[in-house]
Amino acid sequence: MAEELLKKTFTIFPRNFDKAGENSTEIKTLLKSLNFDPDIIRRLVVVAFEAEMNVVMYANGGEMDFVITDEDIRIDIRDEGPGIPDIQQAMQEGYSTATDEMREMGFGFGMGLPNIKRHSDFLNIESQVGKGTTVSAGIRLNPDA
Amino acid sequence: MREWTHSFKIDREKCSGSLACMRSCPTQAIRVRSGKAEFLPELCIDCGACLKVCPTGAISAATRSLKEVWKFKYKVAVPSPVLFGQFPANISPAHIVEGLKSMGFDAVWIIAAEIELVNRAIRDYMQTWKGRRPLISSSCPVIVRLIQVAYPGGVEQLLHVEPPRELAGRELKRKYSEELGIPKEEIAAIYVTSCQAKTISIIEPAEGVKSDLDGAIGIADVYNGILTAAQSHKEISNHKVLSRDLLRSGSLFQWDMSEGQRRNLQDYNYMSVTGLSNIIRVFDDIEKGKLRNLDFLECYACWGGCINGNLTVDNLYITRSKLQRLMAELPEKDPRLEEEVARRFTCNELYAKAPIRPRSIKGDMGDLKERIKRIKEAEAVLADLPGLNCGLCGAPNCKTQAKDIAAGDAQKSDCVFYSKDRLDRLREIYLKKKI
Repeated sequence: MAEELLKKTFTIFPRNFDKAGENSTEIKTLLKSLNFDPDIIRRLVVVAFEAEMNVVMYANGGEMDFVITDEDIRIDIRDEGPGIPDIQQAMQEGYSTATDEMREMGFGFGMGLPNIKRHSDFLNIESQVGKGTTVSAGIRLNPDA
Repeated sequence: MREWTHSFKIDREKCSGSLACMRSCPTQAIRVRSGKAEFLPELCIDCGACLKVCPTGAISAATRSLKEVWKFKYKVAVPSPVLFGQFPANISPAHIVEGLKSMGFDAVWIIAAEIELVNRAIRDYMQTWKGRRPLISSSCPVIVRLIQVAYPGGVEQLLHVEPPRELAGRELKRKYSEELGIPKEEIAAIYVTSCQAKTISIIEPAEGVKSDLDGAIGIADVYNGILTAAQSHKEISNHKVLSRDLLRSGSLFQWDMSEGQRRNLQDYNYMSVTGLSNIIRVFDDIEKGKLRNLDFLECYACWGGCINGNLTVDNLYITRSKLQRLMAELPEKDPRLEEEVARRFTCNELYAKAPIRPRSIKGDMGDLKERIKRIKEAEAVLADLPGLNCGLCGAPNCKTQAKDIAAGDAQKSDCVFYSKDRLDRLREIYLKKKI
């Protein structure tokens, strides 16, 4: 069992595009001050940002845990929202249910989940239509890092 | 821990401990623990923000004094193109060059060919680059250092091409050494700079190699000398033709201005950002994975580009207008210049001498568990601090102070909310009253 070294919980507010991404910035600052490899930081920040944006755009708010263990760094995010009916479809690049308004703001190009997958070592999605979605994604740490 | 040389000096006598510098520093590299400002050298990126706000003029840029320059046998001034936009309209570039010579320089080297060479190298680099985008311009030393200190993941995106001033230093030593039969060591290439950051890029290049320039003096340091000399040289009758022969190409003046690379890279997604706070916002966005379709990001720490550097004399808008007028009088292509560029492009080393690496910062030491322990300590301390960011403890804000405490560099009793002694000590320093 991995030993949990640090856990931080962030609240994510729905449709708050002004503040969106601030949690990811805080995670980035934290990872930087812990002197993680720049590549790990970059990947995890993309994961956190995309996961956060999904909640901001589609759900009625949620929570994000940022966890460091001696084995991995990960983001656990859960929301109350519409859920994803077909996860496989949602994983395809370019598949999006974003509104025009979101697209005008530069979001919703159907790259969210694919980007999380591309930048993480592991990704689990569980979703119940009409209830919500939980996503857990992260990066494995080299045992001697 | 290695030692860092920086382009600033703080005169402890003049320093009044006003905290202005500490509050203005974008990388939290200044502390005022006992009434005097001090740098944390590994965090300083040479941006000059502190220099601008110091009310007593205690912070100065370390440029080469003219006295040191005169020790060399053959002295060549390499003026930043910005210099030519600093003078009244009746003082032509030919006057300015004569002015530099009458101040004691043996020759003046205009970096027109070097700028064309670098433009070409940048186009080549863009074409062959397979790594992450955007590529980020590296001619502003502050940007290079900001990335080394605060965005270490971005170092590989820095353009790996030498700035024109460095190429000029190398070429002029080769040329004059050959023509005059004197060793290269006796030739000094002195950059006439618009900011102090370029001075430090010469004394201590970010790649950890040796510069081909021997120092820099500020535009402000040569301004009066040129002005005086130029006024007595008014009789240069053919100064228009002379100026054109000296400057050769209008692209000379695009280099130091914002949007300077746009024409060179017109087939790419290009963005120009100037001003350090704006740049930090854009870098944060890039780190989050935004701006994925951008190919090239041009960054100047000074608002508007080098024409607004802190060692310039005239203001940014006047300089820009003057340079644009000069540019309009110059041909876009000069056949002899093209020929020189073609000849030198094949035999010149245009890429940076060594890769740029992130700087290691104190507090990064220890294994993951220790580092997390320190972060947790800092968070616990922060929860106890008032959160007013008053700066009276000597750190710019409570968060930085909490980090300093966790690292063992400061104490909780530095906070006036926790220690009457600290308040008494501050009264002594700032009110000059013994309690």
